Amino acid sequence: MVDLFSGQLLIAALVLAAIYGLVALGLNLIYGTMRLLNVAHGEILMLGGYLAYWTFTLTGVGPVWSMFLALVLAGAFGAIVYRTLCRRVLRSSRLIEQIEANSLLLLFGVSIILQNVIALSFTATARAYPYLDDIVRIGTFQVTADRLVVLGIGLALCFAAILFFRLSATGLQIRALIQQPDAALLVGVDVERMRLISFSLGFAIAGVAGCLISMLEQVSPFMGFPFTIAAFVVIILGGLGNLAGGLAGAAVLAAIEVYGVALTTTSMRSILIYGVFIAVLVWRPQGLFGGRSMVR
Amino acid sequence: MAEHSRFLALLAVAVAAFALVPRLGGDYAIGVALNLLMWIALTQSWVVLSAMTGYVSLGHAVFFGAGAYAMVLCFGSLPFWLSVIVAGAATGLLALLVGYPCLRVRGPYFVILTFGLAELVKFVVINVEAALGQFGRLLFGGPGLAQIFYVVLVLAAVSVIVTWFVRRSRFGAGLRAIRENEEAAETLGIDVARYKVLAFALSAIVPGMVGAAMVLRTTYFEPLDLFNPITSFTIVSIAIIGGGDDVPGPVYGALFLVLMQELLWANWPEVYMILLGGLLVAFVLGVPDGIHGRVAAWRKARG
Repeated sequence: MVDLFSGQLLIAALVLAAIYGLVALGLNLIYGTMRLLNVAHGEILMLGGYLAYWTFTLTGVGPVWSMFLALVLAGAFGAIVYRTLCRRVLRSSRLIEQIEANSLLLLFGVSIILQNVIALSFTATARAYPYLDDIVRIGTFQVTADRLVVLGIGLALCFAAILFFRLSATGLQIRALIQQPDAALLVGVDVERMRLISFSLGFAIAGVAGCLISMLEQVSPFMGFPFTIAAFVVIILGGLGNLAGGLAGAAVLAAIEVYGVALTTTSMRSILIYGVFIAVLVWRPQGLFGGRSMVR
Repeated sequence: MAEHSRFLALLAVAVAAFALVPRLGGDYAIGVALNLLMWIALTQSWVVLSAMTGYVSLGHAVFFGAGAYAMVLCFGSLPFWLSVIVAGAATGLLALLVGYPCLRVRGPYFVILTFGLAELVKFVVINVEAALGQFGRLLFGGPGLAQIFYVVLVLAAVSVIVTWFVRRSRFGAGLRAIRENEEAAETLGIDVARYKVLAFALSAIVPGMVGAAMVLRTTYFEPLDLFNPITSFTIVSIAIIGGGDDVPGPVYGALFLVLMQELLWANWPEVYMILLGGLLVAFVLGVPDGIHGRVAAWRKARG
């Protein structure tokens, strides 16, 4: 019998929740503001992972620092993708009719391009690097230092994001855009600028999440897709476009995954994730928390 | 009526031409033609649901895989052709069962729901197989390549006929009304829920039968391959590149894709995937009516 109250499981669930929270935040931001389904989200994370891997392998600089580089580069890449591709979908009256399906196909195209460009450049071999893997003992349980670092940075970033969306003028404008796009335009929100910022920010957060994940997992060209799926599950749980709900959804999914696997077997992991996903979609497509209102 | 008879004549000529392939060509030619027919059959079926109603399914691999699994379970106890029919009945039934709850869900939710459903079924099958102590099954003593080819040829023809007649029926008009405006369609008295579930079931039967036939080609059942999400994505890509909600789109799309596969897949799989991604981007942004739309416009311009 597994001890469900062990600190080991709790830490595992918290680390996973922090990662899912970050990954889903970016996806949710892009969906909430523009109704674009960014299926290439996991690939941005993968690029962040490779950046951290190569920076560490070539220069010895750790992911805690390359994270900042990932933030800037992924953000810039997001701006480019938005300007060259996504804006054209948003501006075309024909494409916007089926905005979700069109954006999904478009970004799926981007996603397979990125996967295969990386596979072609660095081979499909999974890579890992040793970083902060010494064990830290806290009370009765032990954990590797990298997990604690990921947990700390992940939670700090989620917290910073909450503050940003509650306090800063830009954050408030983005939330207004998510809640009431037409009303936001009326009260003078610069919609175009907020969309660009949201898109860029969504990519930037994914890039940072990739750096963090590369400390715990191997990086490979195809590592991103499972995270895209997990992020979709998380934002469905929290409600599409509901940023705070997404963070709660991340905690729920991480708990289900970690404790569910502990209670059953590892092979049940995917069944659990997809089972929860489908159950929520069919019974409560507005998410577990709250009714129609999108952002709190 | 002239339109129907011209279509049937054209189809008969195409089927007759394909039927000659196993007599004239070697295994390589049969393989390429089989691949082409498989994608045509799968995409035509997808069009009946997704292109006509606008409910984009990103999980059609589930029917392909489920049909293959039905074949695996029947293998050895039923004749080949009967197993194929059983597989089609099974996937049609599966679609009827899951169709009602799934099709209440709209837009982006439906897209990711179908994807999630396909993945769920895949992992359930993997777990069931593991519980049975099976890790990949070998299927020896099945029919030869030519026999599989003829079955898939028939299935491709059936799928083309289904798309053609549904597109020109009252039922098809109802489906397209759902795509344009579901509330309005309901107000006009269309039984929206029944129409959607029927279209879903109709789009599931042929893929199930194709899966059942194709699993015998590899003589090996591996859930990860047969429920591969790449199958679902490829179907959608073919439909987008081909364009439209009628018979020609999937044919153009499949021809284009199979040609690209033959040229690139064996030696440069990454390049093939990069090109496919680029094509998706280009077609969604630049040619949303697909090859079919371009050909139609060109014909019209020429008069």
